Amino acid sequence: MKGKVVNNLMLNDKYYLMEIESEEFVSKAKPGHFMMVKAQQYDYLYDPLLRRPFGVCDIERGRFKILYILIGKGTNLLSQVKVGSYIEFSEPLGNTFNFNNEKTVALVGGGVGIAPLLFLAKYLYNQDVLVDLYYGGKTEDDILLIDEFKKYCQHIEVTTENGKVGKKGIVTLPLSENIKKYGKIYACGPKRMLQATSELAIEHNIPVEVSLDERMACGMGACLGCLVYVKNDKGEIEQKRCCVEGPVFDGARIVWE
Amino acid sequence: MSKSLEIEICGVKFKNPIITASGTFGYGIEYARFIDLNRLGGISVKGISLKETKGNKMPRIMETNAGMLNAIGLQNVGVERFINEKLPLLKKYDTRIIVNFWGKSIEEYVEVARILDESEIDMLEMNISCPNIKEGGIAFGTDPKMTYSVVYETKKVIKNKPLIVKLSPNVTDIKLFGKVAEEAGADAISAINTLLGMAINIETQKPYISNITGGLSGPAIKPVAIRMVYELYKTISIPIIGIGGIMNYKDVVEFYLAGASAVQIGTANFVNPEISIQIVKELEDYLKSKSIDKITDLTGKVIV
Ligand SMILES: Cc1cc2nc3c(=O)[nH]c(=O)nc-3n(C[C@H](O)[C@H](O)[C@H](O)COP(=O)(O)OP(=O)(O)OC[C@H]3O[C@@H](n4cnc5c(N)ncnc54)[C@H](O)[C@@H]3O)c2cc1C
Ligand SMILES: Cc1cc2nc3c(=O)[nH]c(=O)nc-3n(C[C@H](O)[C@H](O)[C@H](O)COP(=O)(O)O)c2cc1C
Ligand code: FES
Repeated sequence: MKGKVVNNLMLNDKYYLMEIESEEFVSKAKPGHFMMVKAQQYDYLYDPLLRRPFGVCDIERGRFKILYILIGKGTNLLSQVKVGSYIEFSEPLGNTFNFNNEKTVALVGGGVGIAPLLFLAKYLYNQDVLVDLYYGGKTEDDILLIDEFKKYCQHIEVTTENGKVGKKGIVTLPLSENIKKYGKIYACGPKRMLQATSELAIEHNIPVEVSLDERMACGMGACLGCLVYVKNDKGEIEQKRCCVEGPVFDGARIVWE
Repeated sequence: MSKSLEIEICGVKFKNPIITASGTFGYGIEYARFIDLNRLGGISVKGISLKETKGNKMPRIMETNAGMLNAIGLQNVGVERFINEKLPLLKKYDTRIIVNFWGKSIEEYVEVARILDESEIDMLEMNISCPNIKEGGIAFGTDPKMTYSVVYETKKVIKNKPLIVKLSPNVTDIKLFGKVAEEAGADAISAINTLLGMAINIETQKPYISNITGGLSGPAIKPVAIRMVYELYKTISIPIIGIGGIMNYKDVVEFYLAGASAVQIGTANFVNPEISIQIVKELEDYLKSKSIDKITDLTGKVIV
């Protein structure tokens, strides 16, 4: 698919928010989906070679957004894309978050893992679910899109490691204080945060879904480069492809390294 | 579709010479949602072994300059499940099916080949060149005596299908291995598999891939592959299938000029799932613009 970039906003030194026009993409995207984006605009340049995976951060009237953090070659190229130019991306890939009519849910996010949670918050809000957000970052620069989240969330708890914004500490602390009121927890962010969140949820017997981030080459199930280890019903460990059977997994079944 | 791209290798007719490379196209069906498999000349399926294989530990892939390293470790469902679960789905498409296979011992190679030879596939592709597993794999492809034995013994049990032998580039003289494979009974050669490589993270000071080394593929390896196809073409008389870093029709023409009779597209499928189909179209246009009747007229025609 191809789409016109209508916005490529620098949020701060680290983060960008890109908005792309594509009716076709938007008509298929569901919360949890990701897409593979071609970072370079010229066909004859083969470096970087592979497409980059990004979560769908938001959709609205024929447009979708990706929130990205500058890491290396690919994301630096993306940050240079001019408004009005076209970029290429796959259709929405992977599975989606599941929802079983829970009345009150918690979203737990950190860093760029907040991206797919915005789309999810909006979706749940429209289903009349009460949504709370637990948002953790290293510094104040890692706390983004709060005004957007305010539209869909009842209650927002922010934590940073230096305490400059929100409470000082890690996000699982305020979560653990309120955890009993939630019918379900959804999380996306650094692996350690996802593990801690899952362990809390298991302890309190609350269903938990986490969106994982593995290095991907194809994004469509062919290369077997993105495996995640998951326990099945019998307790046996199974290999799952993050790009096809994921990126959303039952947090209680993941075998953390 | 025009006839200019039709080819025949070892008696098997292909509608065009574009085949997707083993390990980069899953069992074929993974891509059916995204592209029309009927438009491909052929599909070379992920390397199949006798028993299901779980592959290496994660992380298994890393991008490098104009290429990537992988150490998947030949993960596959095993020959039985392949034939029962995957093949029937693939058979619904009008494209040639080549099954890449491997073993940990000569006996295993022979046994997998025997089973596949009775199945509804078009060709067998023996992988003696995977750099990512300890036993078998590359050991068979880097020792000429072992290459001879594994090809010779396997060929004895194959009654119905042509046998392609896929060579390793991780040798000093690929000509020798082409010759040995031909003498042992290979019906065609495919070249090349990935080049052994390594990448280190300077922050953690550890290798990026858990297996430490991995196979390098993508545009970065194309010049090596072209050279090897060229050398093989001068040495052997069985058809050569060119592989390595093909990204567009120009690369395909280059492989043909070096001596290829067909090509396989690997890593490019990750970059653009529609690439093989695009290349078919571009090749047709190229031949027309050059007034070349058949793509096979280009094989080995490099002027030196
Ligand atoms: C399902 C999924 C959703 C994602 N969603 C987002 C998002 O919404 N926003 C965002 O900023 N980032 C997201 N990421 C991570 C993002 O893909 C990487 O940060 C990005 O690929 C880095 O590319 P680079 O070229 O800048 O870095 P480089 O370091 O140059 O990349 C080198 C190679 O490693 C891969 N890679 C490096 N880091 C990661 C990583 N953390 N995850 C996956 N692949 C990686 C790259 O794809 C590339 O092949 C997501 C990852 C996955 C798997
Ligand atoms: C992720 C990955 C998995 C692969 N698995 C196999 C395999 O199972 N059997 C095999 O013969 N070659 C395998 N290969 C090698 C490719 O078929 C091909 O020979 C190589 O990648 C070079 O071509 P390319 O540069 O076009 O990718 C694999 C390559 C990659 C990138
Ligand atoms: S990224 Fe290739 S299988 Fe998941």
